Amino acid sequence: MINDYSQNLLARITTVQVIAYILLLILGGRVFYLQIIRGDYYKEKAENQRIKLIPIPAPRGSILDRYGRILVDSRPSYNIVFASEQIKFINPFERVDDYARGLKVDKQYLIERLNLIKKQPGFETMIIKENATIEDIAWVEAHSLEFPELQVEIRPQRNYPYGEVLAHVLGYVGEVSPKQLEKPEYSHLKPGDIVGKAGLEQYYDKYLRGIPGYRKVLVDSRGRIQAELEVVEPQPGQDLITTIDLDLQLAAEAELAKSVTKRGAIIAMDPNNGEILAMASSPSFDPNVFVKGVSTPEGRRKIAEYYKDENRPLLNRAIQGRYHPGSTWKIPLAVAGLQQEAITVKNSRLLCGGGITIGNKFTRCMGNHGTPPLDYAITKSCDGYFYRLGLKLGVDGLIKMVEEFEYDRPTGIDLPNEKATRTPKYWKPYVEKREGSWKDIRTVYASIGQDTVEATPISMLRTIAAIGVQGKMYVPHLMKEIKEIGAVGAFPARPGLTYEIPEPKIIKMTEEQEALVMHGLWGVVNAGGTASRIRIPGFDIAGKTGTAQNAALGTKGPKDHAWFVSFAPAYKPEIAVMAIIENSGFGAQHAAPAVRGVYDAYLRKHHPELVQGQTLAKNGL
Amino acid sequence: MIGIIEKRNFREFDFLLLILAISIVCFGIWQIYNAQPNEIYWQKQIIGLIIAVLIALVVSMIDYRTLIHFAPAFYALGLILLILVLTPLGVKVKGQQAWLKLPIVGQFQPSEFVKIPVVLMLAKYFGERKGVQPLTLKEMMVGVAILVAPVGLILLEPDAGQALTYIPLLATVIFLSAIKIRWVVLSLIAVLILAPVSFYVGVKTGKIKQYQIERINVILDPENADPRGYGYHTFQSIITVGQGGVTGIKGDAEKSQSALKFLPEPHTDFIFAVTAENTGFLGCVSLLLAYALLLSRLIMGAKFSPDRAGMLVIMAFVGGMTFQIFINIGMTLGILPVIGVPLPLMSAGLSSILSTFIAIGFVLSVRMRRFVNY
Repeated sequence: MINDYSQNLLARITTVQVIAYILLLILGGRVFYLQIIRGDYYKEKAENQRIKLIPIPAPRGSILDRYGRILVDSRPSYNIVFASEQIKFINPFERVDDYARGLKVDKQYLIERLNLIKKQPGFETMIIKENATIEDIAWVEAHSLEFPELQVEIRPQRNYPYGEVLAHVLGYVGEVSPKQLEKPEYSHLKPGDIVGKAGLEQYYDKYLRGIPGYRKVLVDSRGRIQAELEVVEPQPGQDLITTIDLDLQLAAEAELAKSVTKRGAIIAMDPNNGEILAMASSPSFDPNVFVKGVSTPEGRRKIAEYYKDENRPLLNRAIQGRYHPGSTWKIPLAVAGLQQEAITVKNSRLLCGGGITIGNKFTRCMGNHGTPPLDYAITKSCDGYFYRLGLKLGVDGLIKMVEEFEYDRPTGIDLPNEKATRTPKYWKPYVEKREGSWKDIRTVYASIGQDTVEATPISMLRTIAAIGVQGKMYVPHLMKEIKEIGAVGAFPARPGLTYEIPEPKIIKMTEEQEALVMHGLWGVVNAGGTASRIRIPGFDIAGKTGTAQNAALGTKGPKDHAWFVSFAPAYKPEIAVMAIIENSGFGAQHAAPAVRGVYDAYLRKHHPELVQGQTLAKNGL
Repeated sequence: MIGIIEKRNFREFDFLLLILAISIVCFGIWQIYNAQPNEIYWQKQIIGLIIAVLIALVVSMIDYRTLIHFAPAFYALGLILLILVLTPLGVKVKGQQAWLKLPIVGQFQPSEFVKIPVVLMLAKYFGERKGVQPLTLKEMMVGVAILVAPVGLILLEPDAGQALTYIPLLATVIFLSAIKIRWVVLSLIAVLILAPVSFYVGVKTGKIKQYQIERINVILDPENADPRGYGYHTFQSIITVGQGGVTGIKGDAEKSQSALKFLPEPHTDFIFAVTAENTGFLGCVSLLLAYALLLSRLIMGAKFSPDRAGMLVIMAFVGGMTFQIFINIGMTLGILPVIGVPLPLMSAGLSSILSTFIAIGFVLSVRMRRFVNY
């Protein structure tokens, strides 16, 4: 034995041995802690970092016109993106020249985008080129080893082929906002999901929106996909068939574009059921800007301009604009006069007097019509007659009329943010509070649709169109049918549905009463009335012009708003059309011809035999 | 050479030690395969094992005393190799010029092999001292001097991890060479006090850089200390070990942290994490037990050594191996900073396996000559 070399060598060797065992024991203890005590925790950690869910966005349903023509669809858009996982290993700024050359993108723009990445540390992908071409994609694929940070991403992009046409009705889509995410109906969405932000896109969002699928993939430490574990296909959204007739819509848009101020609204509706055939509002906007432009500086600038523009292109004037209705207001007033027996069919005559004196103030009529009957007063738009009729009804009579014609609420059209008409019913409490009492002069002004009356174009069309169909006020609507969509994988089929037309509100009139008002409306165009210039032989238009002052009384402010609200043919209406042209002047001169343009388009399609006579009539003007 | 071996010697051949070592390497090859199934590391390791076993057998046939006798020559050769590494003959891998590429022999890592002549030198010097008198300061300084040259050259590569593995060689030899226990205790206390104090002073005076502080923080709290930066490797290693659970993922490539490249250097420095992942707690404990058994067997060999020099060689080898196992696995388990040291017998790498088996051959040689009388 070697023990004789030093006094305690064996003990020292044993010490080394014990130290070795202790160290191994420490390691064993640590392994026990990591694998047995914390094993499940690290199992989960490992899984979380290797399994990624890549959403497959679902295409939204298309929006079609009543004949199945596409108004909105989704098409795949290829984007070149920077992947966040990759970028932390490289300095992309050094590669900007390569990117710019390969993708044919402005270098300055790339630098801008890369700087943006720095500001948002949590980003997943950053689009550096939208709507990439096949060449771009090929370039990215070919350089995938060299530039793994570049990836091609496909997502369906909303496409509005007609641009500004029907934009207010269709609306647009965008990323769900943080505010929306708090609402229960959006609770299952996640940031970045696309939802309808306006118009039909918003109103029918839950039908149009599909259910996104996902790819469950295995990724390596650099986020490169190693294997696909599971694919859940998305379920596309349901198609929406609208009541819109694209031809009429284009005609309406063209009329607004031709108008002097290019500001206003035109609506065409089927008076027999409330189907909106056309709804145009001008100035308009291009929904594509909202869809494609959000990620680019130019797009953002354009969107900001829309919001700042004093002509308010984002406003749907047809349902959100409030204007004094002017003389078009005389039609519900006439019906109210008969209903409330201020006048009768037998004796409907009231004095015109060239105007009326209230207190010491004289308010004039446009002419002197003697003591006309109701139909003549309508045809000639006699203010004096309606001043007196309004006074006979009194403000309470007017409020009763407002309730009868449902002017105190929105029409219920299937679009978001519809505004209600404002009437004496709404204003009376404010006026009484401020001025002590409701004065007769206000009743007089309210009788001819001025002052305390501010009507939405849709509400005026709805009420006047009802006169042509025995007083049936239908709820205007744009949805005709929502198509069903079949089951996809685990997602069940979603049934289709058609618009259920609510029972119309009936304006009670006797046949005689109706005939009297109708005769007046017919005369406006066909018997030397205010809008006789737009007469179409063989297709009698019944309507009412309106010229709404919007300057303060006695001052020379902006020009009047021109109204024309009508339906045709007069005694068996197929279509009702209205137009308002802002600050253009007389209704007969500016709004009626615009309405006529829509009728022409309607006739070319449905009554081509009448088109010949129509051109003759036009030449005869 | 075979003729020299006497039957009696052959009976003393420590088959258990050799089989134990070969078993660990085989287990390691399986893990190298798990770590990098698509690379040829595991095949290389098989070839390495065969060569290593042959060399170990050859070494065991030679009388260890002859080898110790020629220690200065080996030592000089080792230093030449380490110098050559720093010349253009050296190969740079990941910022470290630690490899030497020579014709015929191929590429190898001299710092792995030079441990052997260093141990022989230490054994020669300290083995020759007689009697029970305590170690003098001068003797200690000679020991330090033996270490300084190779360690200095290795630090120039720079390979701090390898340099570190030389320290326990000297420490073990000195401890077993009748150093006064009070010196041992004093130096232990000094380390325990000076390490934190110098760290504190270093931080205060700015001598210790921020990234070095980060590396320490990683050990204290691997999960929250910047898992994308310095903590990344440690944290990924901990996850890899942890997800092994009791029985491991058994080579499931879809779960493998190394196949998905979350785990860095899976076939070399982090081979234990791969082992833990694939074989779980049972595999880890088995491996640790195998190491314990191997070390016990070596220590038994040391106890039976016919002379002091043989004992010192084996014990230096035990000290170095224990240290390396602890540093490597400790790093893998997140209780020690990341230091690039291979796990003996497990990590892929011809240099490491060859040098280890040369040492084992040496131990076998000592063991076979236990009954030789002077």
